[in-house]
Amino acid sequence: MDYEKILKEQMENVVKPGQEDIISDEASRITEGLTDGFTLDKILEATLDGKSIFNSQELIDGFKSLVIYEVRSAMVLGVEILIICIVTGLLKNLSSSFGKKSVSDISMLVCTMIIIGISINSFRLAYDIAIDSVTTMVNTMEILTPVLLGILISTGSIASGTIMSPVMIGTVTGTGIILKKIILPAMFAACVLALINCLTEKDYVNKLSKLLRNAAVGVTGLLMALLSGIISVQGLITDASDGLLINTAKYSLSTFIPIVGGFTADTAELFIKCMSTIKNIVGVFGIITLILVILVPLIKLLIIAVIYKITAAAAEPICESKISDSLNDMGSCIVSLGAVMFFTSLLFIIFIGVIVGMGGG
Amino acid sequence: MTENLLTWVKDIFLIIISLSFFQILLPDSSLEKYIKFIFSLVILDVILEPVIRIVTKA
Repeated sequence: MDYEKILKEQMENVVKPGQEDIISDEASRITEGLTDGFTLDKILEATLDGKSIFNSQELIDGFKSLVIYEVRSAMVLGVEILIICIVTGLLKNLSSSFGKKSVSDISMLVCTMIIIGISINSFRLAYDIAIDSVTTMVNTMEILTPVLLGILISTGSIASGTIMSPVMIGTVTGTGIILKKIILPAMFAACVLALINCLTEKDYVNKLSKLLRNAAVGVTGLLMALLSGIISVQGLITDASDGLLINTAKYSLSTFIPIVGGFTADTAELFIKCMSTIKNIVGVFGIITLILVILVPLIKLLIIAVIYKITAAAAEPICESKISDSLNDMGSCIVSLGAVMFFTSLLFIIFIGVIVGMGGG
Repeated sequence: MTENLLTWVKDIFLIIISLSFFQILLPDSSLEKYIKFIFSLVILDVILEPVIRIVTKA
């Protein structure tokens, strides 16, 4: 039996070429070309030949050049901040020779504001990376979910498909909006507040900044736990009822139709198996895209965060503890940003995993 | 929602920067600590501004 041809034909029927291109283009822009090796066709061929879909050499090289580039550009930032810190340390020691206290105070304030300016600029970059990555993940899910659910229904899982589709699409869109409108801006606010803290002698907004940051991470975690729980449990129940339906249908086909009943039941089963293979391939494509779309921005963010932490550690002996504390908090803010993105991608991967795991008789 | 949050943070930022400038320019006098306390009250007011708005609206 020429199953390769059937699979390829059915694949073209269920996934329109345009849909895949939209996802691939966007993902390729975010990951700087790392996702180019993973298209639906390549995954399909790898499945048919039983080969590995990962070209490890290419992936390792891509990641290596990415990490080196990011470390270099983040190092420049760290060195800039460190130089200003050295200047402030010098100013503090020279303050007695200025005569008046207010002169040295104002010069310190100006230096601190330069540090704040540089840091906010680089945080803005990190924030844009996070927003971009979340948008791409949501778009990928919004394109893939209807396709996957369509395939799911064609494997015979009618109840799962009809119940899952509004829940899942609503959840994906809702998560995207909540993240972009509330959680990520709250993170930005927390970072700005952490930076203001190094201007003043007393802590005015230290606790507020920590509160905002922890609340943002907490809300994301809660959202993830709740939604993935609902989807998985619902999936289990509808999957059981669908399995019942399909098995009854197969049994009655082979038992109650004389002579050809057995063949018919086998053909029906073959068709369902084919469709679930296609579902797995599309699901794997979605999961790989999501992982790469989260991985590359996450690496960028973590490198920036580590550079901030190192700068804070290096600046501690020469300048005021407030400035190094603020830089340290800034690093934590970027780590939290990464955590929020990680939670989101985990939620989406669980969604795809649930759909892939369902059905198939 | 997003705009409100960002304006709130901007307010806090501006008020803290301007008040710390004023604190440096203050002449040395016995009233300095009271003025600093009043500055802290102003900052408290700005921080609690969203809460005040929610309470007065309801």
